[in-house]
Order: sequence, then C-alpha cells, then structure tokens
Amino acid sequence: MIEVKELRKKYAGVEAVKGITFQVAKGEIVGFLGPNGAGKSTTMRILTGYLPLTSGEVRIAGHDLLNDSLQVRRKTGYMPENTPLYTEMRVKDFLEYRGELKGLSWKHLRKRVPYVMERCGVDSVAKKLIGNLSRGFRQRVGLADALVHDPELLILDEPTAGLDPNQIRTVRELIKSLGKEHTILLSTHILPEVEMICDRAVIINRGRIEASDTLENLSKMVHSSVLSLEIKAPRADALAKLKALPGVAEATVQREADGWLLLDCAAKPGGDIREPVDALVKKENWPLREFRRGKASLEDVFVELTQQ
Amino acid sequence: MSRAFWVCLKREFGSFLLSPMAYIIFFFISIINGISFQICAGLLEQGVRNVTVMQIFFQIFFFWFCVIITVPILTMRLFADEYRMGTIELLMTAPVTDWDVVLAKFFGALGFYVLLWAPTALYLAAFQWVTNGAVPVPWGPVLLCYALVLLLGMLYTSIGVFASSLTRSQAVAAFTSFALIVILFFLSFLSFFTTTPSVVEFIDYFSARKHMETFADGIFDSRVVVWYLTGTALFLALTQRVLAAKRLKA
Repeated sequence: MIEVKELRKKYAGVEAVKGITFQVAKGEIVGFLGPNGAGKSTTMRILTGYLPLTSGEVRIAGHDLLNDSLQVRRKTGYMPENTPLYTEMRVKDFLEYRGELKGLSWKHLRKRVPYVMERCGVDSVAKKLIGNLSRGFRQRVGLADALVHDPELLILDEPTAGLDPNQIRTVRELIKSLGKEHTILLSTHILPEVEMICDRAVIINRGRIEASDTLENLSKMVHSSVLSLEIKAPRADALAKLKALPGVAEATVQREADGWLLLDCAAKPGGDIREPVDALVKKENWPLREFRRGKASLEDVFVELTQQ
Repeated sequence: MSRAFWVCLKREFGSFLLSPMAYIIFFFISIINGISFQICAGLLEQGVRNVTVMQIFFQIFFFWFCVIITVPILTMRLFADEYRMGTIELLMTAPVTDWDVVLAKFFGALGFYVLLWAPTALYLAAFQWVTNGAVPVPWGPVLLCYALVLLLGMLYTSIGVFASSLTRSQAVAAFTSFALIVILFFLSFLSFFTTTPSVVEFIDYFSARKHMETFADGIFDSRVVVWYLTGTALFLALTQRVLAAKRLKA
C-alpha cells in the first residue's frame, strides 16, 4: 500500500528526513513513533501530497506520488495534527462539502455521510457548529472527514492528542475497528497506544528510521532494563546492597516466601547491570535460583533507540 | 473546469453570504452609493449637461472610494484565514489542484463584488421612472461603465487574493492589497504633472480614471480590456506560485 524508498526532505539548510525507506502492506495498522522533531509529521505530509519531497520514491496504492498526486489523494484519507476544521460550518455540511470535494457524487454522499457520522459517533452533533464542539468531538469529525470518501489508506497524525482518557479510549477502539477495513498509518508519542492498536511499529529519530518491525521483534532487539532475581537473603540487607550498586536505579521486592526474595532490579538508562549483580551475589554468597532479563517494553525499545 | 473547482466555488461564495463582514460592507456601500447618486442627480438639477447621471456616478470620488476600499476587505481573509486555522493543509491534501483553489477563491470574491454593485442598476431604473424617461438610457455608455466596474473588480480582486496568499494576518493582507491598488490608482494622476503627449498616452494606458472616462463616453477601447484581463491573469498566476512556494518551505 505504501512504498517509500530513500525519501529525503530538505528545508533551507536543514535535512528533516534523511533518506528513509519503509513499507506498509495492505490491511496493516502501522504505528509511526518518534520523539518530537523526528520527522514524523513531515513524512506524513509528504505522503499525503501536501509537502513536496526533495528526493526519493514514494508509491501509494500503486500510484507514484509525484506523477499521480491527485489519484493518491483520492485513495488516502488524512487527519492532520491538531485536526484543523472549518469552525463556522456545521458538522453535516462540512462532511458533505469534503465528500463532494473528494469526488463523491450526491447519490453516494447521501448514504455515505450519515454512515460515517454514525461510525465516528458524531451523528448526535450533526447539526452543531464545529466551533462549538469539544475537542473529542472535533477529533472525531476530523476522523469522519478522513473516512468520508472510503479511502484504502488512512494517515492519522497524532489522532488522540489532547483527549481525555475516555475520549482516547473511544478513538482508539474506533481506529482499531477501522483497521479491519482500511490500511492505517498513525503517528503517536503514546506507546501503550501502539501496543494496543498496531501490528507493526516504525521508529524514527532525527530523520532516520531506527527500527521497523512487529512489536514482538522490536522487543527482542533491545534488552529490557529490568533484571529479575530470586535469592535467599535478608530483605533489608539485600535491597540496600543492590541499590548501592552504581548502575542500579531501583530494586523492588515482588514476592517473598520461605526466605526467598523475588526482586526486580531496574537499570539506569543504557546500563547493563548483570555483571555487577552477579558479582554481588557471589560476594555475599546468597543462594540464587533465578537470574533473568525481562522482556523489553516498547518504551525500553523507544528510549534505547532514540537516546542518541 | 474541474468538479473540484465548482465545489470550492460553491463553498467560497456561500461563505461570503454567511459572513457578517460582507453584510456590513454591503450596508455601508449601499449608503455611500445612495448618497453619491443623490449628489449626481443634484448636479444635473443645477443645469443642463451633456452627460447622463450614470456617467457622472461612475466617475466621482465616491465610486472610486468604494471600489478601492471594499476589495481589500473582501479578499483579506481568503487565504490568510486558511493559513491561520491550519485548514490549508486540509484543503491541499484533498484531490484538488492549486489552480482549483486559487480560481475558486477569486471567483467567489468576484461574485460577491458583482452582488455589491448590482443594486446600482436600481438607481438608474428609479431615475428613469422619476424623470418619466425624459432622456433615454444611453445603453452604450452605461453597459461599458458596468463592464469596466467588472474589469476593475477582476484586477483588484486578483491583487487582493495575491496579497492574502502571502500572509497569515488578515490585516497585513488588507494593507498590502490596499497599498498595491492605491499605487496603481494614483499612478493615473501622474498624467496631470506632465505635458509630453507620449508620456501622457503611456500613463493613460493603465490609468483607471482615464479608462472610466473613455468608457463613460461610450468608446470601447479593447486595450483597456486586455490590460485588465492580463493584469488579473498575472496576479492569479503569482498567487498559484506563492501557494506552491509556501509548501516548499512549510
């Protein structure tokens, strides 16, 4: 659905996107992750035909972005960051206008707009002025706008930004259900969101792609910063000595039974505490029956890859 | 014209009809035009002249004032608002071309401008009725005057659209287009400061005042039409370039 090859974007003197390559297959939900300023929004704006690229190849739904820009835009639904909307229009009028603009005939519009409004949960505010809606509703109107022409591909830039937890949950479930019928590329900072909704994640930092893989594989790439340890030792003594180790940020007791302590030791960012902990255990002669590194969370992966 | 153009045009024109600013302008222009027409009719009462009321109406100060003031105000929000609200991104990621957007905004504003001046035809009708048709309507000059009003509107609106595309601020857009229009208008008065016939002729070529004088006399000069049409095309083309350039920098 999306094929990006060596995409570069240069502004006056600054190279915002430095030759990235990635693909999104049909039917996937892919999360585009990165710190602020990494180039996520820039890349998305290029994919939607808003910004011209400096060099590289982009093919969307089989069409070349440079030569066939109009066709690409017909097959893509885009929700920009901060969901800009025409605040002086009513929801239904706005969606009808956007549907018409995107090439739908009146016959189609008459069926499509009510369907899209119901799907996105804005049918109750259909006659209201967009300027009078809460942020949550506006975001959903933006989503309805992206959907109105039934595009194959949806590109959503931070779709849950600024929403309260209830609204976030609703939007996330909506996106997940949309993922069954459309290909979705969404960008976000919120890592649990990616874990909940996405099949794959592409991590971008400073204009370069650091990783692009399923969440499973990503977590194997980076080692968890948490070390699980089961030893037989006095509680206070063990905790004190472990916390005293230079690379250890935190040590907590998960379980205590028959004198055995199951501890979680969190390392400081980037640190590997296995050797120091092993040395300590040997020095104190504590019996050891478990020594394991936990599975990396997406946050671990993100922090590790975007630290530099 | 592509379908997208018509959809945009419908919305642009509609948004003029819905905007309070447009009605305020309509109100004040109606009052000024009404006063102006009264003054013209009054001038005729003072003595017999060899010009008709419409010919005076389209050449006095009030007319030029209306045209020069209203166009910048009508056009200032066209692109500036889209930039400020961020909806330019929404617009340009739909399957529409730059030209669709520029032309829709231009014709939307021009359409409202035409609406502003249309009621003046009623003045003429009223005048004819009150004077019992003593002087037959000089259709040639009257139609030419209205044609020039339209041509002026086209050029000035295209300047306004261009100015609006340059900035996020409506005020800056209004001042920029006002400045450009005023400069263009006052250049025409340079002809009063020289006697060299070739220089005068050169200035008259783009002098709005002279154009109206010619058309009000019933003389159709195609060079005038060419000047306004090509000027309009120039500013619209510049607007399209500005839109493209803004995206390169974004």
